Amino acid sequence: MPSPEVATTRPQRWTEPFGADTDDALVDRLLGIAPFKHMDPAAFPKKLPLRDLLRGDTRVNKYKPGDLIVREGDYGTSAFILLHGTASGTLERLAVLGELEKPSLGQRLKRSIAQLWQSPKVPEARSLSVNTNQIGSSSDVGTRQANNDTRLFLQDVPGVLDEYQTTKIQAGELFGEVAALGRTPRTATVFAESQCLMLEIRWQGLRDLMRYSPALSQHVQQLYRKNSLDAHLSQTPLLAGLSENEVQQVAAATQFETHGSFDWHTDLPEADQETLFERIAREPLVAEEGTAPTGLLMVRSGFARVSQRRGDGHQTTAYLGKGQVFGASELARSLLEGTPAVLSHSLRAVGYVDLLRIPADVALELVLPKLSADELLNLAQQTDAPLPARTLDYLVDRRLMNGTQAMVIDLDRCTRCDDCVRACAATHGGNPRFVRQGPTHDQLQFANACLQCVDPVCMIGCPTGAIHRDAETGVVEINEPTCVGCSTCANSCPYSNIRMVDLHEPGGAIVVDETTGTPIVKATKCDLCIDQLTGPACQHACPHEALVRIDVAEITPLAEWMTK
Amino acid sequence: MNRPPSPKRSTPKPLPRAVVRTALMLLGVAALWFWIGWIDQSLGRTSYATGYLLFGVIFTLAAYNVRKRLPGLPLGSSANWLQLHIYLGIGSAALVLLHSGAKWPTGWLETVLAGSYWATFASGLWGLYLTRTLPKQLARTSEQYIYERIPILRREILDQSRTAVLSAAGDRGATTLAEFYCTRLDSYLSEPRGGLYAIRPTSTLRRQLMRELSDLRRFLSQAELKASEVLFALVRKKDDLDFHESRQGLLKRWLFVHITLTCVLLTSAVLHGWLALAMRGGVQ
Repeated sequence: MPSPEVATTRPQRWTEPFGADTDDALVDRLLGIAPFKHMDPAAFPKKLPLRDLLRGDTRVNKYKPGDLIVREGDYGTSAFILLHGTASGTLERLAVLGELEKPSLGQRLKRSIAQLWQSPKVPEARSLSVNTNQIGSSSDVGTRQANNDTRLFLQDVPGVLDEYQTTKIQAGELFGEVAALGRTPRTATVFAESQCLMLEIRWQGLRDLMRYSPALSQHVQQLYRKNSLDAHLSQTPLLAGLSENEVQQVAAATQFETHGSFDWHTDLPEADQETLFERIAREPLVAEEGTAPTGLLMVRSGFARVSQRRGDGHQTTAYLGKGQVFGASELARSLLEGTPAVLSHSLRAVGYVDLLRIPADVALELVLPKLSADELLNLAQQTDAPLPARTLDYLVDRRLMNGTQAMVIDLDRCTRCDDCVRACAATHGGNPRFVRQGPTHDQLQFANACLQCVDPVCMIGCPTGAIHRDAETGVVEINEPTCVGCSTCANSCPYSNIRMVDLHEPGGAIVVDETTGTPIVKATKCDLCIDQLTGPACQHACPHEALVRIDVAEITPLAEWMTK
Repeated sequence: MNRPPSPKRSTPKPLPRAVVRTALMLLGVAALWFWIGWIDQSLGRTSYATGYLLFGVIFTLAAYNVRKRLPGLPLGSSANWLQLHIYLGIGSAALVLLHSGAKWPTGWLETVLAGSYWATFASGLWGLYLTRTLPKQLARTSEQYIYERIPILRREILDQSRTAVLSAAGDRGATTLAEFYCTRLDSYLSEPRGGLYAIRPTSTLRRQLMRELSDLRRFLSQAELKASEVLFALVRKKDDLDFHESRQGLLKRWLFVHITLTCVLLTSAVLHGWLALAMRGGVQ
């Protein structure tokens, strides 16, 4: 007997607009100010008119003095333009903000107990739930309500302005675009000095505005380079011994480079359809073995393959992620021995890689001489990566090194008992969020569970921002009420770790679109059990320590686990 | 690779965890021995002391099954529970011998109790052996399979094989491969393996079929040769599926037996304890 059906309206991109109060009058006013007044509406396609973008993807927020607009460390999905009033951005971390809080123990314990009795009888049964954020507070920071939203505010704005280095945000200035477009945490805190109006643009709208407005695109890219450069250099351990003046000299000489494609996930080949030679040949060559290094290459984002020639091919010897450096050992050796530096490895972009290039002469003059003799000697002695080359090849070829929480199963220990799958289902309303299968290398299986990527390409193209990074934990998760079931994330995921599921009412009826009669689907994926006390239930449930959630973006954790 | 320099430290290699845990278990057994001896020397009732302790141990061992059904609660990882289960289980044998005086009991209840305990103990050891040996065997096949999907995959293999053979037979009416398929391969590809294979899987049949198929190649047309390549791969894959079904099924059946025996053991232990306390007499 077929299941009964319930028809409803299929949600669209702007069914739930970003700002409920953004009406035509406001859009008219926005079109009269920069940068929108310089945009050509005719350049926007009919399905994405400029007016609709502004109405659906922007909102105007009012802030009182002291209100925090963005907080350093939060994962942001919006950019802002100051319309009226004054605001400041901090150039150093505000101690008054303390650390971000996780959901309370009591709430998580309640949830863990309640789910034992709440397993529904039909798969993917749904009732609406609302996530509430826990907001950290201290005596210097208070909370208040504003438009159904809880805001943090600084109790003592003049004190903060006196104590910390800040920079003024000017009217019409765009900020927050780096975090919004780069899928990275906020690098500064911005707060209102006076009553102010901010135009908030969610990143999907910003992306579309940039696509059809070359001037805005160029401006954002310049901001992106300038802000990224300063932040990255200030956090690099190799430059820790430099004075502020020297860092500025290095910054002035540093070049910003991008190699590969930001949309690399659309180009990921099937493993068996392309040879390794072909794969490596496609990867943009950044630096070639046997040539003189042109500088210190520091990875700002993305990944790069380090390889050495072997026979007619190239063997992977390491992969580099954010914060890591290429070329340092050759330059250090050159400094110690007084011989010309020659690269012993090649560097290629895997997907895409953003690099900072500190020219060789600047590195030799300003950076490396600041290291102690021992540090310089260690740097000059290249050490082999702790994983076999064939394992490195495997990880890089399949872009698995993107995962910060890859589910790796040791098949020599796994008894295939499926306790992990049962635990996942028990903690997700009876619906497991991963499949215990996936690519296999030697005894390691990389199961189809969300890798929690360094570069979550699933977030590209989501029309509503339903798939996002949780502000508290940094976990990439899906906000179901705003998911429209377009499957963009599922199709974007290069690892097939996002699944579209049909929804059911608790009584068992399939939920269908009232217009087309087709089932309404939602995207689902592993959320690392962020609301559970135990952390990932799968790992907690494995009796043989065969399953682990591990950071493959770093080589060492996997190497240590394999030899445990 | 070109990481910022870090100081090198040398730390002594820790003892393997199994050595540490075994040592702790043996220490526990030794402590138990001295404790029982102390009770005996103070004219206490050692059978009640060991009885209570044994019941607690068996209850703790059985609690692992409950723990598995509470995945979201912070009760300790399943891996730690299993380690406790293994060492407590092995150590419980010493406790049983102390409790029973190393004698086989008389009476039907105590016989059932002792029998169920030792059967559970033996099945536990067998399970320990299986869980340490089967994963490596399963990992050696070319692909990995989820147990519940095996019937579907078997059906897919059957469909692919029949399609390959039929398409070859359509080429100039060549029937050599089709005849071989009908007499030797169709039943092999369509059905799960028999009972003996479930107990002791071998690759004998696979090797034999592949030998026969190899010997047949000289008589095949070009189209049939191409189809035979497909059949080679499918025969191999079917054998892997059967192997996984056999070994994974064995683990699942073992767990069923072990839990059933545990239920019998718990029931008879409760009855035994109740009777022992009800019939308790002598100086209080």
